[in-house]
Amino acid sequence: MTSSSGDSEDLEQVRRRVFLALFVALAVALHAVEFLLPNPLPWFRIGLANILALTALFSYGIQALWIVSLSRIFIGSLLLGSLFSPGFLLSLGGGLFANSIMSLSYKLWQNRIGPIGVSVLGALGHVTGQLVIAWLVVIRHPSIWMLLPFFLLIALISGIINGLAADYLLTSLYKHPAFLKLRASKAGAEETYSEA
Amino acid sequence: MKIFSWTKHLTSFDRRLLVIVAVLVALSFSILLRQSSGARVVVSIDDRTVFVAPLAKDQKVELVGPLGKTVLQVENGAARIISSPCPHKVCMRMGDARHSGDLLACVPNKIVVSIEGDSIGEDAEYDFIQR
Repeated sequence: MTSSSGDSEDLEQVRRRVFLALFVALAVALHAVEFLLPNPLPWFRIGLANILALTALFSYGIQALWIVSLSRIFIGSLLLGSLFSPGFLLSLGGGLFANSIMSLSYKLWQNRIGPIGVSVLGALGHVTGQLVIAWLVVIRHPSIWMLLPFFLLIALISGIINGLAADYLLTSLYKHPAFLKLRASKAGAEETYSEA
Repeated sequence: MKIFSWTKHLTSFDRRLLVIVAVLVALSFSILLRQSSGARVVVSIDDRTVFVAPLAKDQKVELVGPLGKTVLQVENGAARIISSPCPHKVCMRMGDARHSGDLLACVPNKIVVSIEGDSIGEDAEYDFIQR
């Protein structure tokens, strides 16, 4: 198949949009599914939706991460009827903290850090952000910080699970021809993509 | 049986990062355990502080509020209300208070028992204040 390079740029943009829309849709679905799952502990959430945010980060960069995770938080809360409730504030606060940390770590250590590393840092950021928001908005009591160690431990475990899932997803996505160009740009100069 | 190995999905940087994070989590737990018990029990009746004592000293104290005598017991680093003239006995069912920030309250008798300070550091130094 042949196409001019101008067409290819357009095609790449359309692909990016389509994939980001799919990522958002999947993230919203996971957000809802996780809400339906019974939880053994009241505040224990794996944060499965973050798998898609991580995938977006590693395939399309920092901007894509913010698009996917913020859209997911708003659409997911709208669907579950928790938009602008205290729970939503916790979710948004955690999301903003997590995204900032994930963006920063990805920018700082772009070629060295993997999905699991970014995921764990993001999860730690998420629980810290949630506790800060909980402290500011809900209960202004210092003993709330006693929960932090338990939250951090849970974040470490769920961060590893999500990062692992994102790594599997990225590996299988990169096998698809639509990601050929992306894969080439990641691999650098030695594996240049040819328009033939 | 083959053990599922997830570590092969880690970059060497991730590996070091995970070790550091695990150490930090362990550290946060140790800080929590060290700071968990309070230093002194503070009693106020009708918003006036009437009694301060260390949590480490076992004793029974009779507190007199508008309704009558409420008995506070301090034992093994925990404070609890063991008898009270109030109608619903909510304060007695609040159980033990041992951590800094914990509260026991008997609203009808206007008594509030709170745990303050930290069992390590200067807070633990003095042993009794009666006001």
